[in-house]
Amino acid sequence: MADLPLLDARDVHKTYRFGALGVEVLRGVNLAVRSGEWLAILGSSGSGKSTLMHLLGGLDRPDAGQGEIHFRGEPISLQPGSALDRYRNRDIGFVFQFYHLLPELNVLENTLLPALVFGARSEGRTAVRQDAEALLGAFGLGHRLTHRPSQLSGGERQRVAIARALINRPAVLLADEPTGNLDAATGAGILDLLAERHKQGLTIVMVTHDHEVAARATRQIRLLNGTTETPDAT
Amino acid sequence: MYASLVSNRYLTSRLIPVIAVAAVALCVALVITVVSVMSGFLDMLKASGRSIVGDVIVSSGIGGMPYAEELLAELRALPEVAGATPLIDTIGLLRMPYPAGPQKETAHVQVWAVDPASLAGVTDFADDLYWRAPKDAAAADAMAPDDPRRALDPTILEDGKRLLQSSTNTPGIALGMHVSVGNARQRDGSYLPRYGWFMPGLEVTLTVVPVSGKGKIAEPREQIFPVVNEVQTGLFEVDRNRVYIPLQEGQRLLRLDEAPLYDLTADPDASGNYPVIGRTPARVTKLLLRAKPGCSADALRDRVQATYDAFADRIEADRSRTASMPRFVQVLTWEQQLRDLIIPVEKEREMMRVLFSLIYLVCAGLILSIFWAIVVEKTRDIGILRSVGASRTGVMWIFLRYGLIIGTLGSALGVLLAWAIVTNVNPIHEAIGSDAPLAIRVTAWCLASACAVGLCVTALRRKFLPTLLWTLGTIVLSAAALGLTLHHGTLIWDPSIYYFTLVPDKVDWWAAGTTAVGGVLFSVIGSAIPAAKAADIDPVEALRYG
Ligand SMILES: Nc1ncnc2c1ncn2[C@@H]1O[C@H](COP(=O)(O)OP(=O)(O)OP(=O)(O)O)[C@@H](O)[C@H]1O
Ligand SMILES: [Mg+2]
Repeated sequence: MADLPLLDARDVHKTYRFGALGVEVLRGVNLAVRSGEWLAILGSSGSGKSTLMHLLGGLDRPDAGQGEIHFRGEPISLQPGSALDRYRNRDIGFVFQFYHLLPELNVLENTLLPALVFGARSEGRTAVRQDAEALLGAFGLGHRLTHRPSQLSGGERQRVAIARALINRPAVLLADEPTGNLDAATGAGILDLLAERHKQGLTIVMVTHDHEVAARATRQIRLLNGTTETPDAT
Repeated sequence: MYASLVSNRYLTSRLIPVIAVAAVALCVALVITVVSVMSGFLDMLKASGRSIVGDVIVSSGIGGMPYAEELLAELRALPEVAGATPLIDTIGLLRMPYPAGPQKETAHVQVWAVDPASLAGVTDFADDLYWRAPKDAAAADAMAPDDPRRALDPTILEDGKRLLQSSTNTPGIALGMHVSVGNARQRDGSYLPRYGWFMPGLEVTLTVVPVSGKGKIAEPREQIFPVVNEVQTGLFEVDRNRVYIPLQEGQRLLRLDEAPLYDLTADPDASGNYPVIGRTPARVTKLLLRAKPGCSADALRDRVQATYDAFADRIEADRSRTASMPRFVQVLTWEQQLRDLIIPVEKEREMMRVLFSLIYLVCAGLILSIFWAIVVEKTRDIGILRSVGASRTGVMWIFLRYGLIIGTLGSALGVLLAWAIVTNVNPIHEAIGSDAPLAIRVTAWCLASACAVGLCVTALRRKFLPTLLWTLGTIVLSAAALGLTLHHGTLIWDPSIYYFTLVPDKVDWWAAGTTAVGGVLFSVIGSAIPAAKAADIDPVEALRYG
C-alpha cells in the first residue's frame, strides 16, 4: 500500500475536437504522484499543463479507451459525474492562476464554499467555520473575513483561494501557476505558504513555467510534445 | 446550502431581480383585480337579481291567471316554499310633477302592481325602500349633516311598505330611485334631492293600457298617485324603469279585477244591460316564489310546475268555475329569467381571464431573458462552483431557486397589491372621479422641480446615464403634475352602464390563489431554461475563458 501512488496517470491522451478537426494536446502522459511529495510540472505555454491538471482533478475526462487516471488505485475517469463531483469536493483542492473567487461572497464565505458543497458533517458547522477562520488567520487574513475579493490584493486573493482549496482537507492540492499573476516577492510568500503545508504532509502538484518556482518542489517533470519527461538535473 | 447562499447573493447584489419581482407582481395584481371585479360584478348581479325577483317566477300572458289566491295558498303550503306573492307586470307612462309650469315630463315605466306585504317575504322590497327616518338620535348622528333622511317623517317607511299614503289614505306609488330626475346620487352611494324635486309627497299620473283577453287594446286609463317612497334595488336597469303600485289598483286599471259576468246571448234589459250570470275572478300575471333555505331554485321550479299543472287540471274539471287557468305559463328560476343579463358577464369574465393570463407568458419571457443574461455573466462562477465539487443539479438549483423566490415574492406582492386595489376600488374610483387634492398637486410639482434640479446638476457633470434618468424623471413627473392639475374628474364606472352604483370590492380568493400559483409556476418555467443552460456549462471552458 505504501508504494501505491496517490495519483497515477498512465498513457493519458487528450484530444480537443472541432468537428472533423482534432488537436491532440496530450499524447500518452505517464505520471505518478506519491503521497507527501511536491511535484512541479514544467512546460512552455500551450504544452497542455492546464489540460493535464483538469484531468487529474476530475474536471474533464481523458480520451476514452487510451489510458486511465487512478486515484488511490481507483480509475477516476470511468466513474459517473456525481462521483467526480464528490472527488473534486473531498479529495482535490484546486488553486488557479487567476484566483477564481466568487465576487459576491466575502472572504470567509469563499473559503467555506467547498465545505458548504460537502454538506452536513459530523463535526458540525461551527467547527468548520472555526477551521476556516484558523486557516485564514494563519494566512494573515484574520481581519479581512468579511471583505469582498474586489477589496483584496492579488496575493491576498490567492491566499484565500488556497484556504478554500484546503478547507475540506483534500489529499492533493492541484495548483495551476499559483504565482503566475503575482510579482516575485508576493509569489515567494505564496510558495512559502505552500512549503509550510507540504511540510505538514500535504501532497502538491504544481504547474509552472518558471524554473525558480519549480525549484521549490521536491520533484520536477516537464511536459513536451504532449508527453512527460524528467528534466536533466542541472 | 451553497445554492441558497449563492442565489441569495445573486438576488441581493443587483437591481434586476427587483424589476423582475415588480413585473411578476404587476401581472399577478392585474389578473386578480380584473377577475375579482368581474366576479364581484357577477355575484352582485346574481344576488340582486334574486333579491328582486325571488327564486322562481311563474308568468302568464297579459290575460293573467285567475284564482291566484287559491293557487298561492297551495304553493305556500309546499314545504319548499318560504314565501309567494302575486303581481301584475305591465308597462305604462308616468307623468312627472316636474318641471314647473303646465308642460310636464313623461317617463315610460315598467309597472309592478304588487301585494307589498307578501312581496316583502319573497324579495327585498321592504329593505330596498330608500327613504326612511333615522331610527333614533344615534342613527341620525351617524348620517352626513346634509343627508335629507335626517328630517324625514317617520311614517314614510311604513307608507312605502304598504303603498299607502297614510295621511290621506290614498293608494300610493313607489318609484325606482332613478325614475325621476329628482335624485342625485352622491359618490358615497347616498342620494340628495336635486333641483328641489323630492318626490315623496308629490303626485304623479300613471297611464296604463288594458288589454282584453282577445288581445284588443282598450281605452287607456290613468290614475293620480301620491309618491310614498322610492326603491333602490341597486340594479340600475330596474331602478330606472320600475314603479310599484298596490295590486288592487293595478287589477282595476288593467281590468283584471273581479267583474260581473254577463250573458251576451240573452236579450239586454230595458236599460241595455245584459243579465248577470256570475262573476269572473280577479287575475294576476305573475307569481314570485322564494325557496326555503337548502332548497335549490331548480328543485322549487319543478315542484311549482307540477303544483300548477295539478291545480289547472282541478279548475278545468270543476264545472262551477267561471274561468280556467291558462295552459301556457312559464315557470322559470331567477337565473333563467335573468339569463340575458348573467350569461354575457360570465362569458366576459372568462374571456378576460384568458386574455390577461397571456401576461404570464410575458412574465416568463422577462425572467428568461434576465436569467439568461445572468447565467452568461456568471459562467466563470459556475466553473468555480463545479471545480469545488458542485453538481450539475446543484448549479441548476441555484437558478431555479432564484426564479422560485422571484415568482413567490412577486406573486405575494401581487396578491397584496390586488387586495389593496380591490378593497379600495371605490375610494380610488372616487378619487379618479374628482379633482386631485391641492397637496398632491403641489407635491407632484415639487418632485418634478426636484428632478429638474437633479437634471441640471448631472448635466453640468456631463454624465450621460444619470442625466438621462433625471430627464426621464422630470418628464414623467411634470406630465403627472400637469395631468393632476388639468384633471377634473372622470367617472369610469358609470352606473348607467354597469347596472350597479358601486364597484365590486371583494377579492376573488380562488382567482387570487390560482393566479399566484400561476405566477410562481411561470417564473420557475422562465428560469428553468437558463438554469438548464447553466447546468450544461462545461466547467473547463468556463474556467479557461471566464
Ligand atoms: N477547448 C479547447 N479546444 C481546442 N483547443 C484547446 C482547448 N483548450 C485548450 N486547447 C489547446 O490545448 C493546448 C494546451 O492548452 P493548455 O491550456 O493546457 O496549455 P498550458 O500549458 O496550460 O498553457 P499556459 O502555460 O499558457 O497556461 C493549447 O494549444 C490550447 O490552445
Ligand atoms: Mg495553463
